[in-house]
Amino acid sequence: MPTTPIVTRAFRELAVLNVAKRGMPHLRITFTPHPVAAKTPEQLHAYVEGNDPVSGKPMMKEIVDALTTPLSADEMKTGLVEVSVGPEKYGPDTARNLQQFYHDNGMTDFLPIVIPTEEEVDEMLKGTSHHPDEVVGKMAGGAYPPWSYTVKQVAINAVMAGCKPEYFPTILAIASSGTPSLMSSTNSFAYAAVINGPIRDKLNMNYGIGALGPFAQPNAAIGRAWTLVSRNLANGGIPGDTYMGSQGNNLNYNNLIMAENEAASPWVPLHVQKGFRAEENVVSLFRGLGIVPGQGARGTSTDTPKYEEQFSDLFSVFTGFFGGLVVADPLIAANLKGRGYDTKDKLIDWLYKNTTQTVKDYKSRDFAYGFDYPRALKGLEPYKTWYAMPDDAVIPRWPHRDDINVVVLGGQTNAFFQGGSLSYTVSVSIDKWT
Amino acid sequence: MNRRTLLSLLGASPALLAGLPAETKPAPSQAKTTKASTLPTKVEGLNPKGTPPPIQLIPMARRLDNLNGKTVWLVDTGFEGGGMLLEQIRLWFNQNMPTVNAVFRRKAGPYMEDDPALWKEIKEKGDAAIMAVGH
Repeated sequence: MPTTPIVTRAFRELAVLNVAKRGMPHLRITFTPHPVAAKTPEQLHAYVEGNDPVSGKPMMKEIVDALTTPLSADEMKTGLVEVSVGPEKYGPDTARNLQQFYHDNGMTDFLPIVIPTEEEVDEMLKGTSHHPDEVVGKMAGGAYPPWSYTVKQVAINAVMAGCKPEYFPTILAIASSGTPSLMSSTNSFAYAAVINGPIRDKLNMNYGIGALGPFAQPNAAIGRAWTLVSRNLANGGIPGDTYMGSQGNNLNYNNLIMAENEAASPWVPLHVQKGFRAEENVVSLFRGLGIVPGQGARGTSTDTPKYEEQFSDLFSVFTGFFGGLVVADPLIAANLKGRGYDTKDKLIDWLYKNTTQTVKDYKSRDFAYGFDYPRALKGLEPYKTWYAMPDDAVIPRWPHRDDINVVVLGGQTNAFFQGGSLSYTVSVSIDKWT
Repeated sequence: MNRRTLLSLLGASPALLAGLPAETKPAPSQAKTTKASTLPTKVEGLNPKGTPPPIQLIPMARRLDNLNGKTVWLVDTGFEGGGMLLEQIRLWFNQNMPTVNAVFRRKAGPYMEDDPALWKEIKEKGDAAIMAVGH
């Protein structure tokens, strides 16, 4: 079936590169001025009557020609094209020059790296019993064919990030999930990894004062390795090609690495909630838009705070497209338990029931239009029911109760919390990669 | 609390307060040997990239001779404005190529999901398709 796609001018490079990756490098694409969204019918009429901003030809002639001009020999080609990523090694050169080479060729986060010499990588490989040539998984930071990678290729990136060999099983676990921390969307996504189990103490991870800050090497380096893995092993994070985040997200430098403060929490840790045993070492991944401190939420000035209401107030401004992640200091967890929330589930039940929105507000959000409305048309719930309700009806902020998760960390210097607009994606065994 | 910690808390560099320059140069008697022994070492760094899949070239579908009397499906992928743009295209066909039967459909599911039922319908009933908008 002869088909022609229409793409706005801002995504020309992305469109051209993507069709090439998918095997149709000569696909006849028509371009319009950008944006198409938020335009009146009259403005779009002018687009249609005007010229393709890339070719300069009348847009409708471009479309008709795309469907009727006979194919060229190139457009009819078949066969397999191998893709090269360059030589196995770079150099020999000075460390300074190599550092700059890695930067200039987009293989870093533009912070200094540890040059991945053969010796450094061999040392990193001692952190796992898995063979260097074993395929760990595959990953794509967008809607393009994923790249695959071996234990050794992950090790190279772990060295660059400044990891120690003992961190390597955790990085392998993250890599095995196939979850990139750099996604191609025009949204600038943020990612988080919650680490549970005895490994937190074995690696001296920080889950006390400054748990989310730059105060411990494993917290910093593991998160950074995830970004370099996403960049190099998945070919992610190339602006204009595999990264289109309009503003970017500073959290992508080393992501949100959260070692749960299991000892100070009155509740079961996250990995046990996800079906693992307490003594297992597990990393659980989240994807979303970011995290916001809870100071200033309604009720924070009262002498008898109801933290669940503060969580709800903070989450009320989040889109429900992503889940809600409560990151609570142990002081808050103790308070909640004392007031009857003796399990995370009870807190989650309350939040799901009491964090609400009107149907009108829900429909006005772009995520609802782009993702939920099409699901409603397919008959999927709760979207189908929500879209059939009157505008003043009240519905939950989140489609599903399981969209809400709770993690306890912090140093108990104050009863503070943060709220993540973050969805749980998967939990992976770290022990498997030792 | 030792003196170094105290000075750091005051925001002062202990080295500066001790009278040393910020960058300490080697003593002259060491200059020749220092220069010879600090030639930068050359190393090799490994390629950190993963393994891309080979690309299977897909031949494009044969084109039509013309659109006269043909059914052209206008497929809305779901990005904002795409449906309205396709409506303008449909109106253009009505006014400029009235023998073209332009049929509008919104693809089911979010933009990144396939819609096999729609593809089947288009193959059975259509002659060509225009998809909009890729953002």
